[in-house]
Amino acid sequence: MNVDPVGFLPPLTEVAGLQAADAGNNVGTSDFASWLAKEIGSVNDKITGSDQLLQKLATGQVDNLHQVMIALDEAKMSFQMLVQVRNKLLEAYQDVIRMSV
Amino acid sequence: MDYFSAFAISASGMSVEKMRLDVTALNLANVHSTRGASGQLYQPLTVISTAKPGAFAAAMTQAGNASLGAQVTEVRATLTPPRLTYEPSHPDADAKGFVAYPAINPVNEMITMMTATRAYEANVAALNAARVMAMKALDIGGN
Amino acid sequence: MSGHEVTKALLLKALDAATLRHQAIASNIANANSVNYRPLRVNFEEQLGFARQALAQPGGTLTAADVAGVRARLEQEPAPRAGTAAVMIDMEMVKLSQNTLQYQALLRGVSHHGSLVTTAINEGRK
Repeated sequence: MNVDPVGFLPPLTEVAGLQAADAGNNVGTSDFASWLAKEIGSVNDKITGSDQLLQKLATGQVDNLHQVMIALDEAKMSFQMLVQVRNKLLEAYQDVIRMSV
Repeated sequence: MDYFSAFAISASGMSVEKMRLDVTALNLANVHSTRGASGQLYQPLTVISTAKPGAFAAAMTQAGNASLGAQVTEVRATLTPPRLTYEPSHPDADAKGFVAYPAINPVNEMITMMTATRAYEANVAALNAARVMAMKALDIGGN
Repeated sequence: MSGHEVTKALLLKALDAATLRHQAIASNIANANSVNYRPLRVNFEEQLGFARQALAQPGGTLTAADVAGVRARLEQEPAPRAGTAAVMIDMEMVKLSQNTLQYQALLRGVSHHGSLVTTAINEGRK
């Protein structure tokens, strides 16, 4: 007997979107250095921003306390994330170095 | 800046208000006392409290803020004329048959008692706040 | 002083001010029923007028010179009119709550300051 192929299902289009996004994230070596520098810059900005908010808290100018606390937390977390990224990079580098040729 | 001075300030306030409450209770207990311990008529007492002397000057020089706070300066017997009622059969009646009772107004005493209680509770709240702040300071460097 | 040290110095001065303010409030509450009592207050934020203007601009930070001469001190309010109570207990309770909260927020800020350096020292290990 003849089995008709399944034809009423439209072809999947979402995969194309994923492939486009993946191509955007596919960075080469030179882009990685600039990306890392950008991330370090943004962490530094967050830390100095939290510093400024702490000074505002000390002078009694803060309107909402949760804004200060959230900014403090964000700065601390992004700094910890940066440290972890640095640890993983070091680990990977040491793995590569230990590879015997 | 130590925390013991903050505790001492609130403790002084609490002892002043406690004294005020005790004196009020004493007055209310003696509403119908015709004779005191010395044989004289009981005179209603009031508590006069002031700030501790030299407190502000010492605090300005940072020489220890334990001198801030309140103290009881005087427990004064108010010289109000007694309340006279006609009871000729009373053992303490005078020649005309009048008995002298202390001129204590229960309404005033109740108001004083409520004021003292509120101030005492406020002092307890200040003490608790000082304790909370001290405990939080111990947590510096926790995480 | 670097920006971080200025912040730390300012935070410590603000903590001192909050401690002194608590003592002023406690003294006011203890003397709620005292005669001839002049309520106490703390002068600290008023000394930081220039600093506040500098911080109000976006991206503005303070320098050591802004912070150097600032010090919390006790002041007496003018004597009350005859017949009125010098101390309003409900207002003092509000100030007490506000000051306690400010103190705890400043403590959290100081703790955060130290933890960043701790993280860098520990290299992220707990």
